[in-house]
Amino acid sequence: MSERDVVTVRGLRKTYGKRVVVDGLDLTVAAGEIVGLVGANGAGKTTTVECIQGLRRPDAGVLRVLGYDPVTQAARLRPLVGSQLQDSALPDRLRVAEALDLFATSRGRDGGELLEQFGLAGQRRSVFSSLSGGERQRLFLVLALLNRPRLVILDELTQGLDPAARRNVWAAVRQLHDTGTTVLLVTHEMDEAEALCGRIVVMRAGRVLDAGTPAELVDRHARRATIRFSLPDLPAPLLQEIRQLDGVRDVELSGAQVTVHGDRRIIAHVGAALVRRGSVPEDLGVHVPDLEDALLGLLEREPAVGAPVPAPDELAGGRR
Amino acid sequence: MSTAVGRLARIELRLMTRDPLVLTFVFAFPVVTMLIIGGAFGTAPNPGFDHVNPAHWYVASYLTVVIAATGLVMLPVHLASYRERGVLRRFAAAGFPRWSFAIAQLIAGLVTTVAACGMLLIVAAPVYGIPAVHDWWRVAAALPLGAVAFISLGVLLGSLLPSARSAQAVGLLIFFPSFLLGAGGPPPQVMGSAVRHVAGPLPLTLLTNAVREPWLGLGPATGSLAAVAALAAAATFAAARRMAL
Repeated sequence: MSERDVVTVRGLRKTYGKRVVVDGLDLTVAAGEIVGLVGANGAGKTTTVECIQGLRRPDAGVLRVLGYDPVTQAARLRPLVGSQLQDSALPDRLRVAEALDLFATSRGRDGGELLEQFGLAGQRRSVFSSLSGGERQRLFLVLALLNRPRLVILDELTQGLDPAARRNVWAAVRQLHDTGTTVLLVTHEMDEAEALCGRIVVMRAGRVLDAGTPAELVDRHARRATIRFSLPDLPAPLLQEIRQLDGVRDVELSGAQVTVHGDRRIIAHVGAALVRRGSVPEDLGVHVPDLEDALLGLLEREPAVGAPVPAPDELAGGRR
Repeated sequence: MSTAVGRLARIELRLMTRDPLVLTFVFAFPVVTMLIIGGAFGTAPNPGFDHVNPAHWYVASYLTVVIAATGLVMLPVHLASYRERGVLRRFAAAGFPRWSFAIAQLIAGLVTTVAACGMLLIVAAPVYGIPAVHDWWRVAAALPLGAVAFISLGVLLGSLLPSARSAQAVGLLIFFPSFLLGAGGPPPQVMGSAVRHVAGPLPLTLLTNAVREPWLGLGPATGSLAAVAALAAAATFAAARRMAL
């Protein structure tokens, strides 16, 4: 545990009945980091952050958040943490402005500014039950940021938001990072994790499978790239040359369609070979591995004992 | 009040006024049933009613119906609905101590009870008259103790039951037998001995005795008052422990 660590979790274990949800988890989040917790449904992400916030009592393990024990020192800790929880609500008839008054402490920021920033200024008198799903999410984010928290925990941050609102929320998270606020982000959205997180912790069945920067995870678990193009009369020498290029693992032919698999170096080598031959196909397409590919690769290689391999859309919430 | 409790209590009271249907049971049910049953037995002193005016007997009994309706029906549903929808988690995560919400509910419940009792007396006064209070301090002690006891029971039920629907079912299941046997139904003198034995130790019977008997000059009801005080202490302790988890 270093003094820079905002969150330190060692050997966290939590069970619901006989079901082990978090199983000996270790996690460290340093000051100023944006760390993403990713994994399929049931991986234990939400339970982990609920234990970190002191909303659930761990069965075992040591937790320190901003120097406090979240269970025994929750009253001191919670004012320092801003939370946007999964599956929570406000009273139906509570107005937006009243929610700000209710949740604001003496350290509070100007709620009006935050409402403006998140496009809710026109909803000040609206009651909670009349807000759309996206507006509710944005209101929760406003409330999470209201009291200048040192740690912000965001669980399924952009669930239900349209693309423009998502970008707006992402910008706000980056601003938080710029001001030195530490962010712990739970998400199913790999594009979100890749865009926001400096470090990603991959969970499976309550354990950490791997952790690293998005680039490190992609590098470790999804090195392959795929190139597809069509050449009606593919010259045999070109095919031979492609097969022998550095990094090429496999070349598939299906009629005029050519598919080249290999590591990411093949993008440059195959492109150069095509240019040299003067036959660059118009339908040339490259699939560069991203974080989602890395996560799928990781989870396929290391299935948890007794746990089903998640469907890709379960892991990633579907590609957009 | 700018404390967590103060902010929560203020908001809860404000929200109640925006949802008047929630209050209907607490405000309308006791008044309507008191008007019906208070007129059913006339106003002549009756041996079945300890030789007092039956209408006055019921006026002195029905304040406890308001208290029970608040504690056993309104609060458990309200609280269980908050738990079910994640409102309490939202408050807890924002730094509101859990006990602060329980105390805010206690304050909101007490204010509601006082308002509903006031309304009951205002309606009863021109119709049946308000009977003179013989032993003020015992009545004044029993009413707040009973309110604290039943509101704490309501907080406890709301924190234990898994959903608003189950809270409503259980709350009504407890309320109506208590109401019929302990406050708004026939007087104990006309009940069969088996029913009287069942009715005697019910919390609402004890509270009604502790209010009605000193009010109408029928006796001090010290045992009932002590039992209500013990129930208030136990229920408050249990509710506070439960909400602190």
